[in-house]
Amino acid sequence: MEPLQQFLPQVWFFILGLFLFLYVLLDGFDLGVGILSLTASSEERRSILMTSLGNVWDANETWLVLMGGSLFGAFPLAYATILNALYLPAVIMVVGLILRAVSFEFRENAENKLVWNIAFGVGSFLAALGQGFALGSVFEGITVDAAGHFAGSIWDWLTWRSVIVALTLIQAYVLVGSTYLILKTSGELQETHYKTATIATWTTLAGAVFITVTTPILSEHARALLFSAPMVYIFGLIPVLGGVLVWLLLQSLKNREEVTPILWTFLLFALSFIGLGFLIFPNIIPPSITIYEAAAAPSSLVFMLTFIGFLIPIMLAYNLYNYVVFRGKVVSDAYGE
Amino acid sequence: MQFLSDTVALSRLQFALTAIFHMLWPVLTTGMAIYLIIIEGLWLKTRNLDYYRHARFWSKLYVLNFGIGVASGLPMAFQFGLNWAPFSESVGDFFGTVLGFEGTMAFMLEASFLGIMLFGWERVPPVIHFISTILVAIGANLSTFWILAANSWLQTPAGGVFVDGKFVVQDYFQAIANPFMVKSFLHMFLATLETSLFVIGGISAWYVLNRRHAAFFAKSFKVILAGLVLIAPLQIFVGHLSAEQVYHYQPAKLAAMEAQWETIPAGERADWSLLAIPNDKAERNEWEVKIPGALSYLLELKPTLDEPVKGLKEWEPANRPHMIGLIYYSFRIMSGIGMFFAALMIVSVIQWLRGGLAEGAIAQQRWLMRGWILAAPLGYLAVETGWIVRCVGRQPWIVYGEMRTVESASHLPAGEVLFSLVGLTSMYLVFLTAALFFGSRIIRKGPNLELPAPVVGGQPKLGIDLAQHERDRRPAEAQQ
Repeated sequence: MEPLQQFLPQVWFFILGLFLFLYVLLDGFDLGVGILSLTASSEERRSILMTSLGNVWDANETWLVLMGGSLFGAFPLAYATILNALYLPAVIMVVGLILRAVSFEFRENAENKLVWNIAFGVGSFLAALGQGFALGSVFEGITVDAAGHFAGSIWDWLTWRSVIVALTLIQAYVLVGSTYLILKTSGELQETHYKTATIATWTTLAGAVFITVTTPILSEHARALLFSAPMVYIFGLIPVLGGVLVWLLLQSLKNREEVTPILWTFLLFALSFIGLGFLIFPNIIPPSITIYEAAAAPSSLVFMLTFIGFLIPIMLAYNLYNYVVFRGKVVSDAYGE
Repeated sequence: MQFLSDTVALSRLQFALTAIFHMLWPVLTTGMAIYLIIIEGLWLKTRNLDYYRHARFWSKLYVLNFGIGVASGLPMAFQFGLNWAPFSESVGDFFGTVLGFEGTMAFMLEASFLGIMLFGWERVPPVIHFISTILVAIGANLSTFWILAANSWLQTPAGGVFVDGKFVVQDYFQAIANPFMVKSFLHMFLATLETSLFVIGGISAWYVLNRRHAAFFAKSFKVILAGLVLIAPLQIFVGHLSAEQVYHYQPAKLAAMEAQWETIPAGERADWSLLAIPNDKAERNEWEVKIPGALSYLLELKPTLDEPVKGLKEWEPANRPHMIGLIYYSFRIMSGIGMFFAALMIVSVIQWLRGGLAEGAIAQQRWLMRGWILAAPLGYLAVETGWIVRCVGRQPWIVYGEMRTVESASHLPAGEVLFSLVGLTSMYLVFLTAALFFGSRIIRKGPNLELPAPVVGGQPKLGIDLAQHERDRRPAEAQQ
């Protein structure tokens, strides 16, 4: 294989990973806050929760659209096959995200806000659930024919293990949502989310341990990969680092720190992502179609890279600026302070 | 009910429904974004608080529409892969690239600066806020550009060749600048602008008619009327250019738009059909009213044709569009609305010149105001019917002349598509009803005419409901 034909799909694998990572991180806390809002006991609390997302949720959701569009352009085969295999989870996710977004806007204008709050929470839950099943099928693999087209059946994504993966992802979103609320709120509301964050840390950890242990047992591919020369060190290091981060996270929650919990959570997400990346690479449709087989023509990849690659730092900069402008706590006249 | 087990038909129906529903929201926000720049510019220039209050009032409608637009756009981003996998795989090298560009160049820009535009009045200096408003509008209109570049490529594919059913790009810029791109983009750009200006005009007219804040809304009315003096006639001209390009590049679509079954040879007079009952099966019109010679003038500005107008019978039934009645009437509804808009603009400008829109006088213009209220929803109808002409008229091709729609659908079980179709449709019906309800509530509630000028770093008054972002407590010199 020409070096360029190898290099370009790798670059795009990385960029798509970056978009997906930013999406999971940022919309992750939106969805987590959405799920948590189902448990908020008063209208004031729900108002604070919603306000904390007001200026960021649509930009955060846009990372998913970027990922979808770029996957379509860079790996058309993967875009087509994966979405075909995951038709139902994708529809659940899309329905959930629509419900979430629309309820957010309707709630602002509604007198009976509770109805739209519940719709907002349910939408967030469904979106997380659909994404969880999609993640699950990454571990399970997608059945394809020789040309790389989907050749499985419509319920392939639903297994007992994918249910556990989905529940774990939901826990992880609740965790990052809680740590975001720790950052953005104060007083009793903040205290509530120290507790939800602590619980979610343990439940996420349980799920993550289960997935980490069962993957090499059930998957021959993962087993082979795990015990090959350089990988054994990487996969050996990830659980150790993960353990350290969980310990730091729990400490920071115990000490009622405000900024560090979300940072440790972000790092935990990053670590899981790196692990997942190594597990999948060089495939894009696990377990058999590689990025080189699914990639668009090199000229396409170069053309996209020229423009999108140039825009990535700019997008990151103005997204960051948005967070800087709206830094600080969300408060209410009747609550907090 | 045979189509219930036809995956291709269900997938087409789902795409059509999601696209039609999605279109309703960005068509308003992309146009209104430009209006908001003008209003904010007027506020910064004149320091007249009314303009600031206008900006705040209209952005309430903006954000309601924007949220639903983002949400309903998601199925659009994914359903190429979900329901049109063979298509995605075949043309992804180009088509996917363009959608990737739309996300990175347009969506992210719009979504990120929207937060500052809506909630940032007291958190950033006026100039930064103004720039944010401009960037929101640029983002919105860039997405019009990329979507029209992608769709125009489906109409007039260029910049590469199909090899074994896969599109191989040779020249990306040529593919983007395909023959339909410039005029189609202009047509849609003007359509979003015109639709949103007539919505703003119609709502303003409603207030004037009901004598609520008549002087306040006379301001927005005049701003949009001034814009429409240019836009309404220009749109008719660009629409004409668009029809001409269809005549040259997609003669079968033109024949469907005109329900023309028989070819009119060169050198003959072409009549324009005003009304007809087309019969797909019998390949003729059951009944028809024609204006003699009008079509030759419309197409070539001559009494007789230089080039023939091909009739539908020139193509095998499998190679030409169907649902001729839908295409034929959609085209007439769209162009009729364009004409009505221009006429309403002219009548209103005449009244303006005669002083009929001055304070005190404008509320007397009851029939004119009613006309504007009637016009408010028509832009949407024109946009939707225009897209029906464009995309139903392109059939049986998904990529004109290269790839058939039937070959492009994913091989999904029909029940699966039916599930998503029913789910999305019922959700959309609920959301459309709710959006109309909440939109009219915003309008009935009206603008806040007590709203004080924004003070950067001052007391926060910008939150949603009860909660708000805490104000910046740092010393003044550290802020921005």
